[in-house]
Amino acid sequence: MTAPDLATSPSLDPDGVLPARRRAPLGRLLRSELRWIFRRPRTLVVLALLTVLPVITGIAVDLTFDGAAAPDPTAGPGPGGGGPGEGPPIFVTMASSAFVLPLGSLMTLLMLLLPLTVAMASGDALAGEQSTGALRGWLLAPVARGRLLLVKAVGVLVVALVAATLVATSGLVTGLVLSGTDGLVSMSGTQLSVGDVLWRLAIAVAWATVYLMAVGAVALAISASTEHPMLVVVSVLGGLIVSGVLLQISALDWLHPYLLPTSLASLADLIRDPLAFDGLAEGAFRSLCYLVIGMSLAYARITTRDG
Amino acid sequence: MRPSTKALVAAGSGITVGLAGLALTTLPAGADDDPVLPAIEPEALVASALAAEPQAFSGEAEVSNELGLPALPGTEDLDFESARVFHDGQESARVQVEKPTSEVTFVKNPDEAWAYDSQERTAKHVTWDDADAAAARKHAEAQLADPAQAAAEIIEQLRPTSEITVDGTARVAGRAAYELVLTPKPTEKTLLREVTVAIDEQTRMPLAFDVYANGRSEPVLSLGFVALDLGAQDPALFDFTPPQGTKVETPDVGDAAGHRAGTDGAGKNGAGKDKAAERMAEHGTTTVGDGWDTVVIAEMPTEMPTDMPSDMPSDMPSDMPAGMPEGAFGGGQDLAGTLAQIGQPVSGDFGTGTHVQITVGGAIVTDDGRVAVGAVPQQVLVDALDQQ
Repeated sequence: MTAPDLATSPSLDPDGVLPARRRAPLGRLLRSELRWIFRRPRTLVVLALLTVLPVITGIAVDLTFDGAAAPDPTAGPGPGGGGPGEGPPIFVTMASSAFVLPLGSLMTLLMLLLPLTVAMASGDALAGEQSTGALRGWLLAPVARGRLLLVKAVGVLVVALVAATLVATSGLVTGLVLSGTDGLVSMSGTQLSVGDVLWRLAIAVAWATVYLMAVGAVALAISASTEHPMLVVVSVLGGLIVSGVLLQISALDWLHPYLLPTSLASLADLIRDPLAFDGLAEGAFRSLCYLVIGMSLAYARITTRDG
Repeated sequence: MRPSTKALVAAGSGITVGLAGLALTTLPAGADDDPVLPAIEPEALVASALAAEPQAFSGEAEVSNELGLPALPGTEDLDFESARVFHDGQESARVQVEKPTSEVTFVKNPDEAWAYDSQERTAKHVTWDDADAAAARKHAEAQLADPAQAAAEIIEQLRPTSEITVDGTARVAGRAAYELVLTPKPTEKTLLREVTVAIDEQTRMPLAFDVYANGRSEPVLSLGFVALDLGAQDPALFDFTPPQGTKVETPDVGDAAGHRAGTDGAGKNGAGKDKAAERMAEHGTTTVGDGWDTVVIAEMPTEMPTDMPSDMPSDMPSDMPAGMPEGAFGGGQDLAGTLAQIGQPVSGDFGTGTHVQITVGGAIVTDDGRVAVGAVPQQVLVDALDQQ
């Protein structure tokens, strides 16, 4: 228990100037953390990949179906799988439109690739630095453990936000290039204005960020308990796959509201008109519950961790 | 506080709060205690429900269907779980049947009706001027997902042949409601036990109904609002312009004839007030009996014998009017083969046919191309065919 005692004892110092000077400013810590994250080649490669995927999807759909006909939605592959009998929601109206393509890409990638991106960032944040010995510097530095976790969590949050934004933007741009402003149609058959589409996409990105942050919080909790970043990614992958399997079993209906990926289906509500926020709000709330659980566990683990 | 204690407290309270939050999302809305309402006579409740002013509202309805319809190809359209219903309090309505990745939208206003399918990207358009069979069909299809209309229809149809009681109160979609129970009179030869309808205390609008079959404690069919907001709706909701690239079909007379079998039941039940319904009556549909043990006999159009599967859902509502999805799906399946698999041969004065049993009734498809459907035992179907 010496390390935490050392870290907290300066604040008890009667000298009023000293603690203030010895506290590293939060802004500087955040800047340096973000610099580290976005300097890692793997972060950049994954983000680039996420940007390219909607482009590939859009072009493939456009070439295959000439951008007009909606193919049989039951035939499409869904990575990770949605609910039982669900095709990827990407093919609902006009698959390569500037509205459906970004939303569909986001939904598909949220099943697996985006959570894995966040898990990778979380794994690097604590476990990765622990394995290279970099975390020791943090633990010995005059930075309270809570603040350390906060900095790391904000780093993961930024990765989630950037990844979701890149996917949506890339889908939007691809859709605009392929179909212009044609086909901005909701599932209810109403024509949507460009502003309306952008507003819905903004909600989608915000919602996806909250969802990813829930995954990130759980990943941070694992990350705080191990020094193998690979374990973090594998745990998240395993958790997602197990959740996906459990979601297919209708006998476990009662369990489904407790599973994070249950929320994903509600993202399709954004293609309906008028917008209904009930499902999205419930999904966001579920994410927040996971966030609270994950962050409290991460906090508990990091405050008791020896340097 | 020692760091380890602090950590324990943080972890413990965090997990507790998180799990409590998750458990909160599993609670069904409006699971409060039954409200206390002034007692009311059943007849007065029925009268006030049928005379209730139409309300402008928006609501969300959910359906659960345990009818045990044979898994016939083409009946997937029964599998919707929720729908959003908008009503302007007068003639216009909008019903959006939500499926996981697509939606079917029905819009009805005084001038026209639309049915838009986002998956097929097709729209069917009907103007009331040339109200044909398809008009009645659209009407009924939209109605099926609107608990208020479907339940009102049930009360009206079953009232003469039912014992009516008020069995306590309930909370539906957060609103206080009376539970009206319709039980078949002893003379009715039906497989159904009772139908309960929740009627809003304030507006007297039906909010939900459950259909119970003999020997089952769970309802075989229930449809009700889970959320309801009274108040004026945006008029734009009741206009529909098909989006670009949509294939618009305007069903003409020939099309209507093709879907005859499907529309007959709907015309009779759902759109009783429409001229179209009368026209449908000339198309060879007859009913035997009334109320709970109504049997509907329809002639299958020879050019579309595969329409039979859609007949069952569409004609069943003769006992639960408009309570069940209606549709003429017109698949291309091998009817004879399917029938042999799921049905049993039956014969009588009418000739021979195949009897198909479902949870709340059955259907007989005769070899000479007639269909008799009802929520009744097999013998009643045979008698009905014999009478014809």
